[in-house]
Amino acid sequence: MALQILIVDDCPAMRAFIRRVLKLSGMDVGNYFEAANGEEALAILAVNPVDAVLTDINMPVMNGEEFVRRMRASELLQETPVVVISTDATLNRIRAMQALGAVGYLQKPFGPEQLRNELDRVLGVCHE
Amino acid sequence: MNELDSLIGALLHSCSEHVLESMFFTSIWEEADPLAGNGLERVASRLHFHGKPSGDFEVDADPGIARSLTAGFLGIDESEVTPLQEDEVMAEFCNMTCGSALSSLGQVEYFSLEPAAASRPREFLPSVEGVRRAFQLEGGTLSVCLRVDFSG
Repeated sequence: MALQILIVDDCPAMRAFIRRVLKLSGMDVGNYFEAANGEEALAILAVNPVDAVLTDINMPVMNGEEFVRRMRASELLQETPVVVISTDATLNRIRAMQALGAVGYLQKPFGPEQLRNELDRVLGVCHE
Repeated sequence: MNELDSLIGALLHSCSEHVLESMFFTSIWEEADPLAGNGLERVASRLHFHGKPSGDFEVDADPGIARSLTAGFLGIDESEVTPLQEDEVMAEFCNMTCGSALSSLGQVEYFSLEPAAASRPREFLPSVEGVRRAFQLEGGTLSVCLRVDFSG
């Protein structure tokens, strides 16, 4: 079944790139939802259930840390897998996001294969 | 040049190359003169980061390179590229290359990147004093500069 994916990043060009890479990866994505920050993303998730969320960390209004924290505190959203996409690959940052509840982490730069592998892994883990 | 500067220089090359190949579908031909863009029209982007360490990162490119990189990133024709898209994409390049270099620099504990600010100087002069590397790409040059401060 086609996936429903939410992309959260304050840069429209990066959201367009992620959409492009998902298409290049050959993944069957039915709908792309997009948000520029965590607050917009929560509003979208309140009415549109998705299979996975791809989120940046540094964003205005509500950053990725607070966004993941609120998802995990929500009965409705706590099971939705979150993959963080960030330039920051320091162990401190990865551990902090995992502790908040992110199940995947992809460092920029990345290509279609890496994105697909991470999404496959995360969706597989969550479906077990 | 001290040992840290040599390491940063090598990281700037490898990280720029990785970012360009993975996300912009282009490659570096060879290293160029770091001063090649000075005094010329450039598309530039700069950010400050704080943490351990803090510092600044700057990227500047020939306008034609900024356009072709944007087209490659977005998968569109160069004729469709807008100045706003160029600014966004150059800011993303700045963000990704800086983050990639800092993540690879062993002594970094944590960092947070501030949003990159774009500019289009008609006569570019570097505003960051750090380790600078320039690269010849197809159709022009691109340079990157990183300053790190471990004292804070």
